[in-house]
Amino acid sequence: MIYKVSYVVVGGEYPGGIKNESERPQVGSVVQIGRVKFQVTEVHEIIPPRDDFQFLHATVKPVEETANAEPSKTS
Amino acid sequence: MDLVQILRGVDLFQGLNPEQLRRLADISHRAVYRSDDVIFSQGSVGDKLYIIADGQVEIRFSDADGSDHAVLFLGSGQIFGEMALLDQGKRSATVAAVQDNTIVYGMARDEFEALCLADTSIGYVMMRNMALDLSFKLRHKNLDPSTDL
Repeated sequence: MIYKVSYVVVGGEYPGGIKNESERPQVGSVVQIGRVKFQVTEVHEIIPPRDDFQFLHATVKPVEETANAEPSKTS
Repeated sequence: MDLVQILRGVDLFQGLNPEQLRRLADISHRAVYRSDDVIFSQGSVGDKLYIIADGQVEIRFSDADGSDHAVLFLGSGQIFGEMALLDQGKRSATVAAVQDNTIVYGMARDEFEALCLADTSIGYVMMRNMALDLSFKLRHKNLDPSTDL
């Protein structure tokens, strides 16, 4: 089974991500989105499974509150 | 890892048989990027669909004032560049690698369309899967508060 996961960062100041995982994300597990590591706080199914895929939505928060979770911004 | 095996792990190719996957692998071209390498830029002419085999990319939009901001990160098994493949418009965003050794496979529109004409079931399955992928991205966008900023 392959898990296609939509990750959203709590607070909305850092963009989320989408990636395939070989294992279902668990609450407390750590995932890297862009250059920052986050901890999973919630996982649920976003649409029904199809073929070899499950489609999940996960909410994440920065691993450390002091982590720099600023999105890239250049002028 | 064999490219057919990689394609098997991408939902865009779900429903295709091994021979169809091999034909798609034959028109897929590998490229390796370092962190911050730009794969394509917003506003450029797009003629390829990309599949991420390893690493991550950042999708960036440029505002009217010229500032860029990241709106989404895509990791392994995801596709990008499909909009320009479908509508033949200019690239709607800039895409850059965010990790060293980010590996992507590019599929050119003319080769892809020729393959779809030769085997219409490939075209049907991939267009259906592309619509499902766009739907998934839209659901993600609706759930992601950062896209409201």
